[in-house]
Amino acid sequence: MGRIVGIDLGTTNSLVAYMDAQTGRPKCIPGPSGSTLCPSVVSLDADGGVIVGEPARRRLLTQPERSIYSVKRLMGRGPADVQNELKLFPFRIDPASKNVIRIQLGDKLFTPPEISSFILRELKNWAEAYFGETVDRAVITVPAYFNDSQRQATKDAGKLAGLDVLRLVNEPTAAALAYGLHEKQRGKVAVYDLGGGTFDISVLKLISTVEGDIYQVLSTNGDTHLGGDDIDNLLQAFVHEQILQTDQIDFSPHGELAQELRQQMITVKHKLSESNSATLRFPLPNGKMFVHEFTRGELDALIRPVVDRTMAPVKQALMDAQLKPTEMDEVVLVGGTTRTPLIRRTVQEFFDRQPHTELNPDEVVALGAAAQANILDRGVQNMLLLDVTPLSLGIETYGGAVAKVIPRNSTIPASAQELYTTGVDNQTGIEIHVLQGERELAKDCRSLSRFTLRVPPAPAGLSRIEVKFLIDANGILQVAAKDVRTGEQNTIEVRPSYGLNDADIERMLEESIEYAEQDFAERQLIEARTEAESILMASVKALANPQTANLSASERAQVDNAVAALKDSVQGSDYKLIRRQIDELNRATEHLAELLMNSAVQSALEGKNLAEV
Amino acid sequence: MPTQFPTTNPPLVCWNCHERTIGTHFCGSCGKVLQVPESTDYFSMFEMPRKLWIEMGVLEQKFLQLSWKLHPDNFVNSTEQERAISLKRSSELNDAYRTLRDPIARVEYLLAIEGTRKNGENKQSAPPELLEEVFELNESLNELREAKSSGGDAASLKRRLETAEKNFEGKLSEVDSELQTTAREWDKSVDSGDSAQGKTVMTKLNELLNRRSYIRNLVVNVQKELL
Repeated sequence: MGRIVGIDLGTTNSLVAYMDAQTGRPKCIPGPSGSTLCPSVVSLDADGGVIVGEPARRRLLTQPERSIYSVKRLMGRGPADVQNELKLFPFRIDPASKNVIRIQLGDKLFTPPEISSFILRELKNWAEAYFGETVDRAVITVPAYFNDSQRQATKDAGKLAGLDVLRLVNEPTAAALAYGLHEKQRGKVAVYDLGGGTFDISVLKLISTVEGDIYQVLSTNGDTHLGGDDIDNLLQAFVHEQILQTDQIDFSPHGELAQELRQQMITVKHKLSESNSATLRFPLPNGKMFVHEFTRGELDALIRPVVDRTMAPVKQALMDAQLKPTEMDEVVLVGGTTRTPLIRRTVQEFFDRQPHTELNPDEVVALGAAAQANILDRGVQNMLLLDVTPLSLGIETYGGAVAKVIPRNSTIPASAQELYTTGVDNQTGIEIHVLQGERELAKDCRSLSRFTLRVPPAPAGLSRIEVKFLIDANGILQVAAKDVRTGEQNTIEVRPSYGLNDADIERMLEESIEYAEQDFAERQLIEARTEAESILMASVKALANPQTANLSASERAQVDNAVAALKDSVQGSDYKLIRRQIDELNRATEHLAELLMNSAVQSALEGKNLAEV
Repeated sequence: MPTQFPTTNPPLVCWNCHERTIGTHFCGSCGKVLQVPESTDYFSMFEMPRKLWIEMGVLEQKFLQLSWKLHPDNFVNSTEQERAISLKRSSELNDAYRTLRDPIARVEYLLAIEGTRKNGENKQSAPPELLEEVFELNESLNELREAKSSGGDAASLKRRLETAEKNFEGKLSEVDSELQTTAREWDKSVDSGDSAQGKTVMTKLNELLNRRSYIRNLVVNVQKELL
């Protein structure tokens, strides 16, 4: 058996973490660039190769029609569900999509679970490179407010990536686990998790017992389509409007220019978390420069609607837990979007206490997932998570009404039995429609599945079928039926309303062979050689620069030696040695790089006036 | 998604070692997690008598102790059969805790296992002594709906409904305290073993529940209109 990891499959960024046996603490694994964040962006190159992460993110600008971001918004949803998203996101959806959306990348079509599986596979590769061992099992986090279809889609993505998904864990619960390990917190904790595309609020009780610590979720609420993306959309729309007014340029919201503007606007937004003002400079197609100085007050006013939308779920979660804001012992902020000062202030004022932000809000969910992975790997020893189902499970009754059989915030696993009988003589089937949601009418709830119970022909009312609905520890529905008279178990073919069936998954698994992993060491070698070549090329170029005259003789000798050693190692097949020599050359050229940088800055400044700097 | 739940074994024989066992949750001889016979009710799952007064602290403690042992997290590396049993047992444990923790659900459940009430039963006829007030309330509700759709003056109607809502909420707490008194009577009849008395109390509890659910629906309907 290979190693087990925890994965935060995020809207904007994804991360992979593991439990470090030496420190007893979870740790995030860096990718080839050294960053632990893998942008959740996938791009398809011309020869069909899949590019994931930072390189794919750069291609959003150059190859927007072959690249996709924020695919998490489409997980487990049908074409009708996403019409609103299409106005704001550059998703190219195959018009022929039926239950499952198909997205066009270049000339190929992919389902959201397939695209997510590319991201998961990339993270799996990161972890395998880090351990030098296979990784085959994972705990993957999902927004607490994800419904059954969205959870199932995430599990499918894991399977397609070649991972045995041992558990789906709710993101705020994972964050609470990471904080609990970190600070030994006790009492009642509220977790406010605003990520790139989803918002969750969870209320937990941390209990110390003789056996160990129990993390019991009391209630959860949220919005699976509310996050930093929505803030970016507001900002982008604002700037579009400004440009339309000042320069009469109305560019399509999905074109290259819009993508570039969006990226720049995100940079401005990040700056405004640190300082009180930041300037957007954006070159327009008419040759002019659009300049706008944003103040934090202006930003706050623009994003206020998003922040306000988070407060209704917060109040509902507290009401469901029968707690007042001031009764919370701790408040934890999770998700990159909670770096926004307005959000920090709003949360602090509501709960009347300083929220915790000690752990990196981008990493904390992955750290918690790694902790849960460790529990599942080694068996429950001194920690147990008791989570809840975020949405009520219901069955459609006469007149399109819904009878709730498992209320929201029930601890999972949870189950309910319903007894069905026939209404007319010789009836052979009973239709059952399972839904999720809080509304009273079936049409307003999420359809999970429709199926027909087969019953032997008999006088009306004689057959009695007991149907058991069970929500497992992943928050996913299972259904089983039993004929009460004969005691016979009935296997029900439950066709999910929105999602892949087993045959789809089998087919995709076969298709994914073309994207299958190369041998792990071979892949490492290729990556290391590629990197070595680019650094060697850069060094040759740098050594041709007159600035090299300013290097001391011993510095020069060190650089030459390092170049020679790296060239040697590239001939061999030891990727670890190549990596060491790359590091060696990087160190040897530090002073040279500095010299080049300084001279570049100087020549850039020459002949330019101050306004242009 | 199709799943088959393991069938229940005959009581007191372990599915794994086939020994007769006296364990409630785990086999006394091989230690494996046990199926429970279908006759096991929520009270016996927590090894409690079928009484309505429950010490919440004790219930929570027993729930947490059993969660440690039965939760699927413990069985990730076990056989498929054990995983299925753990899933079933821990869902039953959570269902039992959810039911017994809530005083009303607890009474409903007791009535169901004692055979006095059908699962999910809700009598929707108005209790006779409330008929007049319910009639008035429904009239006000209709007037309010009309006023809302025709853009008429809803403010005074709203005030009238708010008063009515308070009135019915008062009745709700009367029913609740009557339920408490009757629950104590049930517990006494269990202690004394007086089954005839027990039957009378059951009938009374059933009536109270129907009354409660009727009034609660009224209150919810009014609240919806007032939003």
